[in-house]
Amino acid sequence: MVNATKGVFISCDIPMAQYIINMNASFPASDKFIIHIVDSTHMFVQPHVEQMIRSQIAKFREDNTYVKPN
Amino acid sequence: MGHGDKNRPFKKLKSSKFEDSRKGFGDDDDGYGGDDGYDGEDTKTKDFSKLELKPDHPNRPLWACGNGRIFLETFSPLYKQAYDFLIAIAEPVCRPESMHEYNLTPHSLYAAVSVGLETETIVAVLNKLSKTKLPKDMIKFIHDSTANYGKVKLVLKKNRYFIESPFPEVLKTLLRDGTIAQSRITSEGANEDGFTISKAVGEISGTHDELINGAEVAAAAEEKEAHSFEIDPSQVENVKQRCLPNALNYPMLEEYDFRNDTVNPDLDMELKPQAQPRPYQEKSLSKMFGNGRARSGIIVLPCGAGKSLVGVSAACRIKKSCLCLATNAVSVDQWAFQFKLWSTIREEQICRFTSDSKERFRGNAGVVVTTYNMVAFGGKRSEESEKIIEEIRNREWGLLLMDEVHVVPAHMFRKVISITKSHCKLGLTATLVREDERITDLNFLIGPKLYEANWIDLVKGGFIANVQCAEVWCPMTKEFFAEYLKKENSKKRQALYVMNPNKFRACEFLINYHERARGDKIIVFADNLFALTEYAMKLRKPMIYGATSHVERTKILQAFKTSKDVNTVFLSKVGDNSIDIPEANVIIQISSHAGSRRQEAQRLGRILRAKGKLQDRMAGGKEEYNAFFYSLVSTDTQEMYYSTKRQQFLIDQGYSFKVITSLPPSDEGPSLSYHHLEDQLALLGKVMSAGDDAVGLEQLDEDTDEIALNSARRSQGSMSAMSGAKGMVYMEYSTGRHKGQIKSKPKDPAKRHQLFKKRFGST
Repeated sequence: MVNATKGVFISCDIPMAQYIINMNASFPASDKFIIHIVDSTHMFVQPHVEQMIRSQIAKFREDNTYVKPN
Repeated sequence: MGHGDKNRPFKKLKSSKFEDSRKGFGDDDDGYGGDDGYDGEDTKTKDFSKLELKPDHPNRPLWACGNGRIFLETFSPLYKQAYDFLIAIAEPVCRPESMHEYNLTPHSLYAAVSVGLETETIVAVLNKLSKTKLPKDMIKFIHDSTANYGKVKLVLKKNRYFIESPFPEVLKTLLRDGTIAQSRITSEGANEDGFTISKAVGEISGTHDELINGAEVAAAAEEKEAHSFEIDPSQVENVKQRCLPNALNYPMLEEYDFRNDTVNPDLDMELKPQAQPRPYQEKSLSKMFGNGRARSGIIVLPCGAGKSLVGVSAACRIKKSCLCLATNAVSVDQWAFQFKLWSTIREEQICRFTSDSKERFRGNAGVVVTTYNMVAFGGKRSEESEKIIEEIRNREWGLLLMDEVHVVPAHMFRKVISITKSHCKLGLTATLVREDERITDLNFLIGPKLYEANWIDLVKGGFIANVQCAEVWCPMTKEFFAEYLKKENSKKRQALYVMNPNKFRACEFLINYHERARGDKIIVFADNLFALTEYAMKLRKPMIYGATSHVERTKILQAFKTSKDVNTVFLSKVGDNSIDIPEANVIIQISSHAGSRRQEAQRLGRILRAKGKLQDRMAGGKEEYNAFFYSLVSTDTQEMYYSTKRQQFLIDQGYSFKVITSLPPSDEGPSLSYHHLEDQLALLGKVMSAGDDAVGLEQLDEDTDEIALNSARRSQGSMSAMSGAKGMVYMEYSTGRHKGQIKSKPKDPAKRHQLFKKRFGST
């Protein structure tokens, strides 16, 4: 029987995919959001986590960027 | 734990700040230009649109603002003159190609007066060069900062220190200060005020010659009476500190009238005729010997610009015994060599004093080259070195020449200065910037900054190499990044991003390219010992690190200099300073010491020595760039943050970094190591199984920046301003959990520039 699930398809580079996978792993079992990992740069996740992933990644990149203070 | 906690306040900050910066952006359009980074309040104090322009402003080169900032147009025909003047009176903040920013500070003005500029001259010349009428604040500031200069002198007579002044009131003011009163030594033969009065010798200045009237001559004679009191030699430094502009504001003049010094024997040495100081070396020396006497201070020249010649020339002019201090045994050898190369000093007049070679000092005057450590060493010495140190201690030195002053910890300086008595101190450095506030101490430990060269001008003049700086972005591989992200690996993060196979491949590619295609000599820097050994073993190249013996170092360096087969050498932190490898013209940096700006500049300095023919090096010549500086960075890791921070100093000197994203080229494939996944996994296994200490940073005792980087202490020092480091004060938060290697970083998105917000805001 065909089972349809609504979700968000993510396409990103290899390290970011790892970052998302790592984030998923740090959550308790009930909050895991990855539905399926397609390959090393694509995955399918629950629709409600999109914003959370975006902001987490933004923050991660923020942390790795130096801005000259004035 | 860190991640979740910090997230919420962060988001709030971001949204509220977004509006702010938009406001800031609007302001920019009104045409204030330049400082778009300042937030609301700052913009107000920096709004100088009301300043009155002079009618012929296009002919004048600079903008003077009421807050002490001065902007210089480098394309102006008057640039050269204006630059010479500005560098004497103000601190360079940032010097990109077309527009320089300077800052007037009490210390910079102190330095200006100490090189002989008078208050009125400063104001007049500044007014002449400025496009706008000089703001009143600025004139007042200049007057306030310079009024008291020169009233007090520190004099060394027969191994005793005296504070001397023609004005007894000034001395009384000084003595009201607790620190100074305590350091005073009361001596016999004093008058009712307790001051010794002596006739100052050789104090006849220009104005005295014009005195004809008998009464005035008498007055002048009275003025020449110098009042003085003696101070405790061990307290000299504290007294000097109290007299600086930020305390009592009676900066002490320290000049050595070496021509009239008959007490200390002369040393017969001259510069050899082939030693031709370059224009900027002349200029720095003229600042030091401006009025025929020698002033104490610091000269800042980029590495490779010929600091040693400046040092040797200074010693040749003073012609008295000279104590030269270097950071390690290798540079002691190099200094001794430089002395023999440039001057006519005889073999027996120069001696080296290190743990390996203890040459005794003969004759009554000479040059002693030693290390800071040897002099400051507190433990028990051998009988032989005890004798030598005793001799150093008892002697009155004409010149104390200090190399690489920026690396030496302040306490060691104090020790050295308290042990050795010298009439004049000259500090040499390339980068007057440290990650702790200790730079400020140099102000009273040595003296003001006498001269600082502009790197880009030296590049244009062909005096130092034109370096192409590049940051190579290496993406992390899937497996390494997965491990990097795991919390339990936080101590191994550094090892993981340094050992990133993509980085290794990029490094290997660059080595191959430069060795084979261009025939270059390459230095690879790695602070991480584990990485250093792994890379060097895999690529079969020689390496030098802290534990490498002096003999082996010399051997490797010799092979690198002469042999055609040794074209690459791997260096750890020990190579940052003072290892002179003039042959190298490529640097590849695979791991670095967190965010140390000084280290980055020092490393670049290793390849700055100009090579090849002059005309080829000039713009439009055969090869515009003949030196290369690569910094390999693993993307999406902390390294990106550190890397940008490290580059700040060089960027402020006017360098720009090119980002390279596609190294190695994809068609290289299996010709480079770690092409196959199995190899990469084996490497990963090695990193993971190595102990936490093994993958850490190498610890050297001479490096106190390390400690400073790991602590959360930051403050704005005025000497850091002198170095051009002003405006680069930043915060670092230490979590204290993992000491040393990994720190959390500032998380203030507010400081993010609009442009980057757009670029990195969404992924």
